[in-house]
Amino acid sequence: MNAIDATNVSKHYGSTTALDRVDLTVEEGETFGFLGPNGAGKSTFINILLDFAKPSDGQVEIFGTDCQRDGVDARERVGVLPEGYSVIERLTGRQHIEYAIRSKDAHDTNPLDILDRVGIRDAAGRKASGYSKGMAQRLVLGMALVGEPDLLLLDEPSTGLDPNGAAEMRRILREENERGATIFFSSHILEQVEAVCDRVGILQNGELVAVDTIEGLRESMGGGTKLVLTLDELRDSTLAEIETIDGVETVASVGDSTIEVTCTNDAKMDIVVALHQAGIEVMNFKTEEASLEDMFIEYTGSRGR
Amino acid sequence: MSWQLIARQDVSDTATQRSTRVLLALVAMATLLAGYIYPLTVPEEAATTTATFSTYAVGWLTTLVPLVGVLLGYGSVVSERESGSLLLSLSLPISREDVLLGKYVSRTGLLAATIVGSLAIAGWLVVYPFGTLDLLPYLGFVVLTALFGAIWTGIGIAVSLLVSTKRRALVLGVTVFFLLVIVWDTVVQALSLALEELGITDGELPDPLQFVAGLEPGRLFRRITEGFIDPNAAVDGAWYLSEWIALVLFVVWLVGPLGLAYLRFSGVDLS
Repeated sequence: MNAIDATNVSKHYGSTTALDRVDLTVEEGETFGFLGPNGAGKSTFINILLDFAKPSDGQVEIFGTDCQRDGVDARERVGVLPEGYSVIERLTGRQHIEYAIRSKDAHDTNPLDILDRVGIRDAAGRKASGYSKGMAQRLVLGMALVGEPDLLLLDEPSTGLDPNGAAEMRRILREENERGATIFFSSHILEQVEAVCDRVGILQNGELVAVDTIEGLRESMGGGTKLVLTLDELRDSTLAEIETIDGVETVASVGDSTIEVTCTNDAKMDIVVALHQAGIEVMNFKTEEASLEDMFIEYTGSRGR
Repeated sequence: MSWQLIARQDVSDTATQRSTRVLLALVAMATLLAGYIYPLTVPEEAATTTATFSTYAVGWLTTLVPLVGVLLGYGSVVSERESGSLLLSLSLPISREDVLLGKYVSRTGLLAATIVGSLAIAGWLVVYPFGTLDLLPYLGFVVLTALFGAIWTGIGIAVSLLVSTKRRALVLGVTVFFLLVIVWDTVVQALSLALEELGITDGELPDPLQFVAGLEPGRLFRRITEGFIDPNAAVDGAWYLSEWIALVLFVVWLVGPLGLAYLRFSGVDLS
C-alpha cells in the first residue's frame, strides 16, 4: 500500500491555478522531499492532504483512505507539522503534547520524553504562546511524533530553526524513518532535502515537473557535470559560442571572467578545445557534481532562496 | 470521542476567563432578581407559584439571554481559526464536526448550568415563604429556558463558523441580536400601532401577521411558556399560533442556524 496516493489533483482559486493535475505516489517507508519555490503550491497540496482545503478536482489518499471523505481516519496514522498554525493559547508545552496524546489515544506516551527528544523539556511548564518560532516548531514536531505515526507530514519543518535545530530535525527524521515511518516534507531549502531524501518531487507553478531520486535527477541532467572555468577574458560572444556545443545544457557567467557550464561528461574537453580555438586562455578549471540546487534552478528557473 | 476532548478543554479555558464570568453572572443576577421581586408584584389574594413566575421570568430573560448567548458563542471557532491554532487541532485526528460539537456543548453547557442553577435559587425565592412549588411545570420551564439559551449560543457559534475574523463575527453576531431582539419588537409595535391608526385593526394584529411577528425565538419562548407552563396565561388564535407549533419552530431555531452554518463551514478552505 502507498503512503500517499494523489490522482489528478487540481486546485483553483478563482482564475488562478494553485495545483495543476498533480499525480504523485509516495511509497511506504521512503523519505520524500517536496521541493519548489515559495508559492509553487507545496502547501496547497499538503493542505489538501490534511483536508484544510478541498481539491477542485482529483483525489488524495493516505494509506488508501480518502483524505476528504474520511479525513479523521486518514490522519489517525499521521503526524503533522502544518504551515500557518499557531500554538494554542493558555496551554503549556506539556499540555500541547498531552492534547496530542489524548486525541491519538497514545496513552502510554510520556509527554516529557517527547519534549526531551525535540529539545524543549526545560520549557515544558511554560505557556507555549511565549515560545519563540523555533521552539514552537519543535513543540509541534513533538506533537507529530506522538503515537509513533506511520507517516510524518511536515510543511517546511525547518522554518524558524537555527542550523543546529535544523540538524537535530534531520536527525529525528532519520530516526523516525529507520523506525519504519514514511516521511513527506516540503522545503525550499535544498541542502536539507538532499541530505535526507530518497526521492524528491519538484513543483513549479502548481505543476509537478520532476519526480525522481537525486541520482536520477542528476542523470537526467546529462551526467550532471558542472564545469567552473576561469578565463583570461570573457568576450560577449563566448557564452553563446559554448552554448552551441553538443552536450552543453546551461552556461552562466558567475563573476568577472568565471563561467559555469553544466554539460555531459563527454562535452568537457570539447568546451576547452573550443575556447582554445577562439584564443581564450583557460586560467583555472574545475569540475563539480551538479548539486540539487543546480538542478532546482534548472527545473524551476529560479533560485530557491 | 474527540469532541469531548475539545469540550473539556474549552470549558476549562472559557470558564476561567473574566469576560465569560461577567456574562454568566449577569444572567444569574437577573434571574435571582426576578425571583426576588416576583412575590412582591403579586396581589395578596392571588397565589404565588413557580408556575406563574415563569411568564414573569421570561420578560427578564428574553433580552439578556440572547445577548449573553451571542457573546459566548461568536468567538468560539473563529478566534482559533484566525490565530491558526484551529489548524493544529485539525492536524490531529479531530474533525471539524468534533470542534463544532465540542465548542457547542461547552458554551451551551456553561450557559445552561448558570440558568439551571440560578433558576433553582430563584424558584426557592418565589416559594419561600408564602409561595408554592409546582415542581413539574417549573422543571419544564427550566429546561425550556436552557434550550432558549442554547438557541442563542448556537446562533453565536453559527456566526463564528461563517466568517474568517473575530471582528466580523462580533459585528455579525451583534447585528443578528439587534435585528431579532431590539428592532423586531420595535417594528412589530410600530406596525400594530400604524394598523390601528389606519382603522384596519383594533390593536391586535391579524393572525397571519401575528404568526410572522411571533417567529422570533424570544416570542416563541413566551408563547410556549404561556401555553404549557403558566396556568394563568393562555394562548389563543388560529391553529398556527398554538404552543405546539411554537415548540416546533423553537426546535427549528435550535438546529437551523447551526446546521446551515456547519454545512458551509464543512466545505470551506481554512488555509
